[in-house]
Amino acid sequence: MRTKRRFAIPDEWRSRVFWKDTAAAYIYILPALAILGIFVFYPFFSAFRLSTFKWSVVRPPGTYIGLGNYTYIFHDKYFWQALWHTFYYVGINVPVTLFLALLVANLLNKKLRFLTFARTAYFLAYITPLVAVGMVWKWLYNWQYGLFNYFLGLFGSSLINWLGDKHLALPAVIIMSVWRFVGYEAIILLAGLQNIDQMYYEAARIDGASGFQVWRKVTIPLLTPQIFFVFIISLIGSFKIFTEVYVLFTGTSGPLRSAETLVYYIMRQGFFSTPHLGRAAAASVILFGIIFFFTILQLQITQRRVHYQ
Amino acid sequence: MKLWKLGVIGLAVVLLFGVFAMADDPVTITFWHAMSSRYQPVLQKLVDDFTAENPNITVDLVYQGSYGDLQQKINASVVAGNPPTIAQMYENWVTPLIDVLYPIGPQMTAEEKADIIDGLVGSNTYNGVLTTVPFNKSIMVFYYRKDLVPNPPTTWAEYLQMSKDLTADTNGDGTIDRYGTGFRPSANPEQYLNFLEEAGGSILNDDWTEVTINNAQGLEAMEYAASLAPYSLITSSYMSDAFGANQVCMFIDTSAGYFYNNQAAESVGAEMGVSRVPMGPVNQKSMIQGTNLGVFDMNQTQAQKDAAVLLARFLLRPENTVYWAENSGYQPVTKSAYVTEEWENWVATHTYQQAMSAQMLDGFSQILHPNYGDMRDAIATSFEEVMMGESTPKAALDNLASELESLLE
Repeated sequence: MRTKRRFAIPDEWRSRVFWKDTAAAYIYILPALAILGIFVFYPFFSAFRLSTFKWSVVRPPGTYIGLGNYTYIFHDKYFWQALWHTFYYVGINVPVTLFLALLVANLLNKKLRFLTFARTAYFLAYITPLVAVGMVWKWLYNWQYGLFNYFLGLFGSSLINWLGDKHLALPAVIIMSVWRFVGYEAIILLAGLQNIDQMYYEAARIDGASGFQVWRKVTIPLLTPQIFFVFIISLIGSFKIFTEVYVLFTGTSGPLRSAETLVYYIMRQGFFSTPHLGRAAAASVILFGIIFFFTILQLQITQRRVHYQ
Repeated sequence: MKLWKLGVIGLAVVLLFGVFAMADDPVTITFWHAMSSRYQPVLQKLVDDFTAENPNITVDLVYQGSYGDLQQKINASVVAGNPPTIAQMYENWVTPLIDVLYPIGPQMTAEEKADIIDGLVGSNTYNGVLTTVPFNKSIMVFYYRKDLVPNPPTTWAEYLQMSKDLTADTNGDGTIDRYGTGFRPSANPEQYLNFLEEAGGSILNDDWTEVTINNAQGLEAMEYAASLAPYSLITSSYMSDAFGANQVCMFIDTSAGYFYNNQAAESVGAEMGVSRVPMGPVNQKSMIQGTNLGVFDMNQTQAQKDAAVLLARFLLRPENTVYWAENSGYQPVTKSAYVTEEWENWVATHTYQQAMSAQMLDGFSQILHPNYGDMRDAIATSFEEVMMGESTPKAALDNLASELESLLE
């Protein structure tokens, strides 16, 4: 009886309406599927294939070399350097931005004057084109005439060569990124804060919870879906950092390649000089693996910790 | 009878028209370039002159963005099997594409070929065949502020001494705020390659079997660069940024930067001078940069290829390369252009051109090794290490040599 049922055709398959609906559903998603298929799925899978070929533009797909590109990359000191820079960037940028965004969201949630203005101002940083932002920040960082060094000079600090010092190049990129994304993350968190039902706060107050306790036991748990979302989005985005570096350092990757991230490395291999498209694809596959791993890990952890109302 | 006659006449007309049409079959070619708005009217005028002379040819001029964008689009179009007919291209873009290009040289007269500036022949010749032809070329020259440098340095020693003298803490806060000179090693390793040439060195030996960059000449060049380092602003930005901010007094840069550098000097109320690069131990040569024109063989009809070759040859004519130079700021690319009255008058009234012309006629170009792009990256990194005091010239060059060896293949 059980085996029979396992192989039984589902009841709804017998219905014509079911097939009509299914067909209609596929027609509706067809345009999106076609676009995604051509511009996302096909390139995605062909990157894997390409990573096993040695190929410089003419006569695709070149010569099959198995894992040769991976061997090259793993023996390239600039790859490891780029990997380290990327983790350094992600490791600082993601938590710092999130922390500041939480603070800002809490502030924006208060009944303040000029609240709409403040919200717009924070978000403006995010919607301004990145290249324009980079151009402005390049001058803010100028060692002699930059605004930052001017303010630091007021406190008696000597001139800091932000973009010319190999130890400061990456921090300079991080500061700019944090500034840019705090507003965006804060707006999302703010939406979450405003969605929390007031009854939880009332109940907590009746139970005599302190301000911090309310924040710790009510606000944060109920905000976890938004925090989780922002965390994943900014983690993935941070691993893909490229344009900030490219603009701040005029197309180079900072002094002594000190701000060369994984995506910059991919661009260098594939496009900036002799085109090694196979190596670029191999490095992309590695980047994909890293992002995939962290996303799965986060999913595992947060599934147990995220609370939906 | 009448009908028969009419038929003959009709046939004759059709045949005649056919022959006539074949000679002047309309043909359209696509020309991809990376010349931004300032240059476009100049290029358009040249193309209009060309189509006026060849009414059956239509040229679609397509601006493709920066050089980097152009390279990526050319590569993508080759992968898709549908490249333009003719395009601007740098030497190191050509090496991977050599199999899909239609060599221009064999379609040129011996006279035309001999007219190309000596320093530009090698860099357009692949496997012994003149494949591309020079188009928008610039040359490394020496820029200086006339108020601070009354007489530009003529030798390496003078350049070093002046850099030292001009480096100063002008506002007395304890840090240097004005450097004698400046370099952008990561973005412009050609500044080192200039020193290398002037010291009589080279990256590789003539048949590319051996790395020579760390020999005595290479070391001399790198040690000289290192001696300038304490008096140099090291940056990745364009030198005009620093020039217009009073941060450097003189530097070696491409002639293509003339307008920007001049603007920068004017913005600080200074007059800018242009001279030849300071003389090195062996010669006073400097590097020619800029793109060439290449015609694609892939997916083109013979008529299109012929038309594109015709255009390339048209642009090499003395009057046209001179027109291009005068209006764009690039340098003429043929020897005959430099002795035209038009150009001589131009140089007489534009004194900065004297140094550029002189430097151009005995300039040198990059080598055409297939891995030149990677080699340039490696050279840039070593040059930067030395200029930032991270490495001694000897250690950097030995390290560089072993990296270059792995690129010889």
